[in-house]
Amino acid sequence: MTAPTCGVPAALQVRGVSRREFVRFCSSMAATLALPPKYLGVIASALAKADRPILVWLEFQDCAGNSESMLRSSNPPVTEFVLDLLSWEYHELLMAGAGKQAEDALERVVREHAGQYIAVVEGAIPTADGGVYCTIGGKTALDIAKHVCSNAVANIAVGACAWDGGLVRSNPNPTGALGLQDAVPGLKNLINLGGCPHNPANTAAVLVHYLTFHELPALDEYRRPLFAYGDIIHDQCERRAHYDAGRFVEEWGDEGHRKGYCLYKMGCKGPEATYNCPTVRWNDGTSWPVKAGHGCIACASHRFWDTKSPFYRRLPSVPGFGVDVTADQIGWGITGLAVTAMAAQVVGDIVRDKVKARKENAETPEPPQSRQA
Amino acid sequence: MKKSPTHVPPEWQWPAHGQVRIYVWQWPVRAAHWIIFVTIISLSFTGYYMHSPFVTPHGKTAYLMGTMRFVHLLSGFVFLAAVLVRIIWMFIGNRWSRWDQFIPTTKARIKDFLATGRYYGYMSWAPPRHIGHNAIAGFSYAAVYGMAVVEILTGLALLSNVLGNRTLAFFIGWLPRLIDLQWLREIHFLVMFGLWSFFVYHVYMAMLVSVEEENGVMESIFTGYKFLSESELRQAKTEVDGTGNQQLVDHVHRSECGEYHGGDSPPASGM
Ligand code: SF4
Repeated sequence: MTAPTCGVPAALQVRGVSRREFVRFCSSMAATLALPPKYLGVIASALAKADRPILVWLEFQDCAGNSESMLRSSNPPVTEFVLDLLSWEYHELLMAGAGKQAEDALERVVREHAGQYIAVVEGAIPTADGGVYCTIGGKTALDIAKHVCSNAVANIAVGACAWDGGLVRSNPNPTGALGLQDAVPGLKNLINLGGCPHNPANTAAVLVHYLTFHELPALDEYRRPLFAYGDIIHDQCERRAHYDAGRFVEEWGDEGHRKGYCLYKMGCKGPEATYNCPTVRWNDGTSWPVKAGHGCIACASHRFWDTKSPFYRRLPSVPGFGVDVTADQIGWGITGLAVTAMAAQVVGDIVRDKVKARKENAETPEPPQSRQA
Repeated sequence: MKKSPTHVPPEWQWPAHGQVRIYVWQWPVRAAHWIIFVTIISLSFTGYYMHSPFVTPHGKTAYLMGTMRFVHLLSGFVFLAAVLVRIIWMFIGNRWSRWDQFIPTTKARIKDFLATGRYYGYMSWAPPRHIGHNAIAGFSYAAVYGMAVVEILTGLALLSNVLGNRTLAFFIGWLPRLIDLQWLREIHFLVMFGLWSFFVYHVYMAMLVSVEEENGVMESIFTGYKFLSESELRQAKTEVDGTGNQQLVDHVHRSECGEYHGGDSPPASGM
């Protein structure tokens, strides 16, 4: 294992990363953090002096998508920098060690560096039936999280599952899964990086911010960094002009779809989702879902599987009506019922008037004609 | 040729022989009513478009969704103002615009609720007569105010999401934390149909009552005046005097046929 004493410049040199690449990385991080250019120098010198803090990456009920997302980014070589900026002591997907050896390494970090290391958590934590649905080395995920995270100097929950339970916690949640903040309440320095998966640029930016300023960036009420989760997708979307104009894709692959019209009618959740997806993008800043022609599914929103589905319709299905019935149909149905009831009332009132008139006629005595005669 | 009132056959006289004209709906009530009516139509139209854009504009400078959203917001705030004025008026207005007209609190109102229900349910021949709202109508308006408040709160919550305005978020931010934005949207959308359903029934009931009670309820929402017989007025007056509320007397005005000036003398009986 790398000793945490070895500094960043040395580590980068070993990797053959040039100064130019390093500065480019720093400037892209400053941009992601929405910091003014003058902070470039601050970041660069802070990172050069940084002591390579230890990082442990825990995986629980996950698909390893966040780890994969971290590894897939290459230009700027976020992976390299993140791997070199920090001393990664434990990450099941990456580490060479296995079995008892690996668990011992984790245990050693917690024992020897308590209060110094950064813990990254990926995946939800099951709590039902004593947490039997996810165990590693005979210990439940909940126990590991409690043990490791409460001794960390900062905790980063990456991905939807670690933040709020994500897919694992979505209805009906058979394993009683919870996100890190609910499973282990009261963690200090917790930061949530929701998204399915998280965007590695944001995670790197959070780490850089922490190494530079020794504190977490400004957070919102879900403890998510405002630089990444502060703006609505819809307000940053390149299809927005089509939205304002009123030009929409009506059907997959139609004329409008080919012309890049707005995906609102296809169920795009951009208007209710916040994330910096449209500006940071994926695959080295190449594209993001809406640019690629698919509506946003609000994957960085709170409990999005339950709250934002169905993903291909504007509004959720109304409970008790089956999934095929849309809110429109129910609304028009209600109105139709009201009109029908009113029509019945009209008929009833007419009948009542007629009956009443006949009754009154019958009660009025015939004019006494005989007297006149 | 202009006919003098004496040439009008008695059954066509308006108000009919022996009726008095009474000022029931004060101008803020009528203004709020019509502003709410107009804004609900424009809110429904633009809102339905925003939910499901049903026309596609042509031309390179189209700004249809933008315009719809602008009109929706504008109408929304006018609607909010009108509803607020009307709710304030529930506490400072005359006795027929008070909050207790909407929620039956007294024994008499509950009795009236049942009596009106019997009429609507074809269990009696003629509707009970009222100067203001009948108890069922009043109660349905309470439901409408409930729906209006739901629309306003969900609308403001959705707007605060769009604006990212901290002041607005301070006042309404608790709502999206309680109910997810998507469900607020759903509620905002579905309640619109509740208002439509009310609209359908409201117009018919107004016509029905106008015809059956012959009290000019249809005209009253334009002019503020309704008509009632002197015996009814006397009855209502004793009821009012019993509670020490003199407002009824103040709002009875001179009418063409049933001359009644307010004040203490009993109404002049007919002509
Ligand atoms: S595609 Fe989605 S995010 Fe983009 S403008 Fe349309 S609704 Fe908004």
